[in-house]
Amino acid sequence: MPIRILLADDHTVMRSGLRLLLERQPNLVVVGEAADGRQAVELAASEKPDVVVMDIAMPHLNGVEAARQIVNRAPHTAVVILSMHSDESYVIRSLKAGARAYLLKDSAESDLIAAIHAITEGKSFFSPLVRRLLKEDYMHQLAEMGAEDTYELLTNREREVLQLVAEGKSNKEVANLLNLSLYTVETHRTHILQKLNLHSVPELILYAVRKGIIS
Amino acid sequence: MQIEPIAGGRRLLLAGFGGLLVLMMVAGADALLVLRQVRASDAQVRDVYVRRSRALDQVRAGIYQSAIVMRDFLLASDPDIAAEQAVSAAGIRVRTDNALADGATALDKAEATPYRNLQAEVSVYWKLLDFITQMREKDTRHRSAEYLSNELVRRRTAMLELVDRIDQISTWQLHAGDEALDAAFQNLRLRLIVMLGVTLGVGLLLATFTIRRTLHLETELQKRYEEGVRARGELQDLSARLVSAQEEERRAISRELHDEVGQSLSALLMEAANAGNAAARVPGGSVDVRRHVESIKKLAEASVNVIRNMTLLLRPSMLDDFGLVPALEWQAREVSKRTGLRVHVTAEEASGELPDQLRTCIYRVVQEALHNCARHSQARTVRVTVRQAAHKILLSVEDDGHGFDARRVRGLGLVGMEERVTHLGGAFEVLSRPGAGTKVEVELPLAS
Repeated sequence: MPIRILLADDHTVMRSGLRLLLERQPNLVVVGEAADGRQAVELAASEKPDVVVMDIAMPHLNGVEAARQIVNRAPHTAVVILSMHSDESYVIRSLKAGARAYLLKDSAESDLIAAIHAITEGKSFFSPLVRRLLKEDYMHQLAEMGAEDTYELLTNREREVLQLVAEGKSNKEVANLLNLSLYTVETHRTHILQKLNLHSVPELILYAVRKGIIS
Repeated sequence: MQIEPIAGGRRLLLAGFGGLLVLMMVAGADALLVLRQVRASDAQVRDVYVRRSRALDQVRAGIYQSAIVMRDFLLASDPDIAAEQAVSAAGIRVRTDNALADGATALDKAEATPYRNLQAEVSVYWKLLDFITQMREKDTRHRSAEYLSNELVRRRTAMLELVDRIDQISTWQLHAGDEALDAAFQNLRLRLIVMLGVTLGVGLLLATFTIRRTLHLETELQKRYEEGVRARGELQDLSARLVSAQEEERRAISRELHDEVGQSLSALLMEAANAGNAAARVPGGSVDVRRHVESIKKLAEASVNVIRNMTLLLRPSMLDDFGLVPALEWQAREVSKRTGLRVHVTAEEASGELPDQLRTCIYRVVQEALHNCARHSQARTVRVTVRQAAHKILLSVEDDGHGFDARRVRGLGLVGMEERVTHLGGAFEVLSRPGAGTKVEVELPLAS
């Protein structure tokens, strides 16, 4: 079964470049191209792709909002954001909207294939530059605040759970992998969020990227 | 514009008020002088009257006394007593003459003739008395007594009449003096009334002139003030338009750079990658092509980075894509990274729904304030707080730097911030003292 991909970008050159890049891969197939966010939502609903590769800056409906709508309607569709922006506000918002990978356009050709494979396996993926920037920012903030590294507060078991959750595993999968009860995993999750002062899974993923726990 | 007439008017006013003052002083001095003269002449008139009437009384008394003494002289049988009476008569005569001389001073025309007559009569009388005295020695007593009763009594009666007449004239004179006094007072009153009238007239004239002048100046001032206000308003409007035009331009350039140039470069990168891949599949000579493609990619990547930074500096895209808070947080991170300043942003998420104008205004104010902190304050920590209250947004940027005298120093940056805020109907305040840090406070109204 090839992975079915929908491309959403308002630039035709970009779309055709991406198509060329993706279709050279044996198990990837581009099933549609959208020129704006609204069209992307419509095509996602009709074509039911496995992966949507989407730009943020698009007319009518931006990529973040489109991602939210697509994931809401079809939770199994994985969204890769392909953007010019490297700032964390874009990354966190994309994650909160349901995207699982965040790539910078200038590294698309080298990272996109890897990202598509990662997210179809349920993992997250970030451009190396994004990872580096997020990590640098985080270290900078830590140094600046003089705050203690909250990661030190976690137990070994909690760190394991953190990594698995950040990689996109569901509570049930984590429970199976670690031979724990679902209830225990949920308790671990709650503790992790409390100790790290985080409020959602996207924030947790961002944290994991910043710490270099996942790539 | 109108320096000349104003200076002329001022001279006129000064002259007018000076004249009025002089007029009033002259009137006062004149009145005082007249009053003093009147009082002096009145005193003199009364003095003369009193002296004259005292003299006349003495004359009258002298005449009676001398008659009594003379009768006693005639009736005296003892020669010693007679001699005593004669001496007494002589004394009376001296006193009476003195009194008569005393009364002769300051005689009026009407009094002069009767007075001269009186003097003549008195001297005749004395002569008669001398005659009787001498007669008594050689003549008979009987004859002298007869003479006394006939001649002397007649003379005495005439004399007393004269005295009464003079007395009467003196009394008239006194009345006349009183009337003159009345007339003088009347005159003074008239003069005072005239002076008062003139002063009042001049005063009224001056007042009218002054009021007209003042009203004119007031209208002029009001006009200039309004002109000033209008000009200021226009200037502010212009500067606001400039600011919004600049903002619009930045947004447009930023978008253009990002969407067009940036995306094209991204596409170029993609195509370069595809070209590289294609070249890899062609056997022979592909190494050279791939090297060129790699260098194209490097150049394009560098350009993409430059453009990314430029667009963010021009106008951070988060401001339009996600709202104020992410933009502020980005700004804080950037300043922190660049300058080492610790920037804490506390902002409620509700302020993400702000209208574009407010969003931009707050963002730019914070940007400028942070810029100032980094450049001038030597602060270590800055707190940026955005709060939403009823119908307004409250922003504060507070640092722990060395501060400055906010009443004196007013840089262009502060003025620019204030203009942005006041244009949206907000309030802007800088609180700072040397050594006490700086706090910029902004209050912006929210359209309900």
